[in-house]
Amino acid sequence: MLVVSALTAALFAGPLIYLLLHSASDIGAFWSTVTSTAALGPLARTLLLAATVAAAAAAVGTAAAWIVVRTDVPLRPAWRVLLPLPLVIPSFIGAFVMLAAFAPGGLVEVALSPLGVERVTSIDGFTGSFVVLTLFTYPYVYLPVSARLRQLPSSFEESARLLGRRPLATFFEVVLPQTRGAVLAGSLLVFLYVVSDFGVVQLMRYDTLTRSIYATRLIDRGTSISLSLLLGLVAIGLVALERVFTRGLQGTDVRRGARPLVIALGRWKSATVGFMGMLVGLALAVPVGVLAWWSTRGLFRGSTTAGDLVADIGDLAGPVANTSLASIAAATAAVTIVVPVVYLTVRYRSRIGGIANGVVVGGFALPGLAIALALVYWTIDAPAYVSAFYQTLPLLLLAYVVHFGAQAMRASQVALASVPRAMEDAARVLGVSRSARFVRVELPLMMPGLLAGGGLVLLSTMKELPATLLLAPIGFQTLAVRIWTATESAFFADASLASLALILLSGFLTWLLVIRRSEALI
Amino acid sequence: MRRRLLLVAAALALVAGGCSGGRDALTIYSGREESLIAPLLEEFADSTGIDIDVRYADSVDLALLIAEEGSNTPADVFFSQSPGTVGYLDSEGMLADLDAEALDAVDSEFEASDGKWVGVTARQRVLVYNTEMVDAEDLPDSVLDLTDEQYAGEVAVAPTNASFQDFVTAMRQAIGEDAARAWLEGMAANNSPIYADNSSIVAAVGRGEVPMGLVNHYYNYRALDEDPSQPSLNYVFPGNDIGALLIASTVSVIETTDHADEAARFVEFLLSRDAQEYFSEETFEYPLASGVEPAEDLEPLDTVDTPDVDIGALGADLRSTAEMISESGLL
Repeated sequence: MLVVSALTAALFAGPLIYLLLHSASDIGAFWSTVTSTAALGPLARTLLLAATVAAAAAAVGTAAAWIVVRTDVPLRPAWRVLLPLPLVIPSFIGAFVMLAAFAPGGLVEVALSPLGVERVTSIDGFTGSFVVLTLFTYPYVYLPVSARLRQLPSSFEESARLLGRRPLATFFEVVLPQTRGAVLAGSLLVFLYVVSDFGVVQLMRYDTLTRSIYATRLIDRGTSISLSLLLGLVAIGLVALERVFTRGLQGTDVRRGARPLVIALGRWKSATVGFMGMLVGLALAVPVGVLAWWSTRGLFRGSTTAGDLVADIGDLAGPVANTSLASIAAATAAVTIVVPVVYLTVRYRSRIGGIANGVVVGGFALPGLAIALALVYWTIDAPAYVSAFYQTLPLLLLAYVVHFGAQAMRASQVALASVPRAMEDAARVLGVSRSARFVRVELPLMMPGLLAGGGLVLLSTMKELPATLLLAPIGFQTLAVRIWTATESAFFADASLASLALILLSGFLTWLLVIRRSEALI
Repeated sequence: MRRRLLLVAAALALVAGGCSGGRDALTIYSGREESLIAPLLEEFADSTGIDIDVRYADSVDLALLIAEEGSNTPADVFFSQSPGTVGYLDSEGMLADLDAEALDAVDSEFEASDGKWVGVTARQRVLVYNTEMVDAEDLPDSVLDLTDEQYAGEVAVAPTNASFQDFVTAMRQAIGEDAARAWLEGMAANNSPIYADNSSIVAAVGRGEVPMGLVNHYYNYRALDEDPSQPSLNYVFPGNDIGALLIASTVSVIETTDHADEAARFVEFLLSRDAQEYFSEETFEYPLASGVEPAEDLEPLDTVDTPDVDIGALGADLRSTAEMISESGLL
């Protein structure tokens, strides 16, 4: 267990070690780069944006999870499929369509102008980044929290209700403490996602650290690498802080077969549906609407450009297959590879586990480009049996696992923490072997949480871009790459069609692999 | 049990399929987008019988990749969007000398002075403006006039964009360091709205969010193709003004290539009449190889008074350009 975890940690530490080796040759230069005024301003903005978005996403995601799992809100199956989906929208296309919709002169303004609406508030800078990022990252909290809520025995809540507590008070005093671990895990992921995001802040023109890293990546590699390292250190520091805060935060164990409590909304029903509708509307309907508009406009216009999707939509078949394959494989691999680290950190709280934990999470905050270049560095000059893997699918999958493994790990940690010790002990007393215990007792109980984590990795992989561009085998085009290449050459109808395909595919895969299987396990 | 076996089999198939088949193809790293040049590259492969493997990505990222790969790079040819990136590789010593025929096909101002790369096509810097918000007669004769008060807050720029940086490097050469710095500071002081890239500026101008912007000529053609009702037009600065700079896309051969002959044929193909006509008609760009006319909507290259700038020198100076831009307050 210890050895495997150490090896896993070494794998995830690859990019960090690469950055360390390539950064300024001495600590002094590194320190002066990261404390220069050119870096401190963006760093402060990065942290501010990350903290506010994490808080907002936590609130929104938890509320949405509670509403879907605990209340009798109408159209529940629809919400369960739609709510995780905003996560799949690549940030560069998400911000682009939000601007097209809401910026001055945008589609919303044009649509509302007959009604006399003159100018919609412009969204850019901090406000725009905050709103767009919250809308696209709340699923990071929603998925783990809904998985946990579904499994909580309702006895505590029922008792609270019997003792006269109103639903809202029950939520704050009973439910929230039980789900605190899941909320914190999801919020940490949101924080790190925002720290590493580039697409949204670039289009919203909010000057964060990622912009500096991007702008200097060729012309001043030393600065770019030092700042990337800084991102990794922020992530590790945050994880260390979180460990301090969650010590002893075990929470109630879960049970299978417990019928969840359902709260009747009564007169709150329409307000709740309104809230959910607005959330899904802004996060999903607006982007899909803009994309559909550009697509139909393009299809009507027709195109003679060879290779344009408008001319031949069958071209999407290849990218759809590739994206599905890569994301499912990456999700499965990620969930499997982090298992030793999950055990070490939850059951044993060892030092190696803690280091491994930090290193895995560090990989999430690093830019995809840094991870890709690190893998190039480690494989291109290696012995033949390693370098043969260069620019092949397994190496690309490894890049995805290193980049997104943290998501699977956090969700799995929450899942493992809720497996009742009593059951494990009973199994051991009955003479069941370690591996059999794992497969027959712990795994089924952990499964909804594991699936939630796998779902997060799935959605993130589907939209990943920088590592895919550099490491994918020649000819292996994913939908994200297709969208990017169309956007770069300003073929917006093409990009819209591919984006719609991405959203539909992710919805289908999430329903098939995450939602259906979670249902089956309750 | 069966499901488990199936999973293992699938995993093995995945690994096997993922490993490269080992076919001996000419590997091209292209910063030029697939949607634009894939048909042309297919034509090359068909007509010469040479197998090609193309990796499409951002020019800057590809330059970083080639540098990181070092002498083991699978790349044989680097087809880049800008001179800056290929200049970087040149300074790392990773490029091979090009054939004399290739260098002769293009004017010396559009190729490296050390013969390591050659320009293939060019995009022109223009001022895109919203026809409903701006009267064409009010537009200035020189890009340097945009720092005037009457244009305060009206001219969008994209300081992190490679083309803008190439433009500033050329400006430093053409009018001197001090004048270039003064222009940048003037644009910053004039509250010029900052955007991420050319597409964003053209979209913003089309929406009416900002009246004008400095971009490459190509984007408005695409925008009008997607939405003919968009009220935006390109304005080319007259005369020898630096604002009408031509920025070349470049092709170069990697030093450590195993396919020197095929690479040379590829370079020759790009500069041939067929390819140059393709660029002119399909991608709205200026063909740089002598003897080919650009598409109808564009001015013929000979009549385009381009400023006297040595594009070949553009590559080396990118870092100091970026520093100058950030010091001016624009970044």
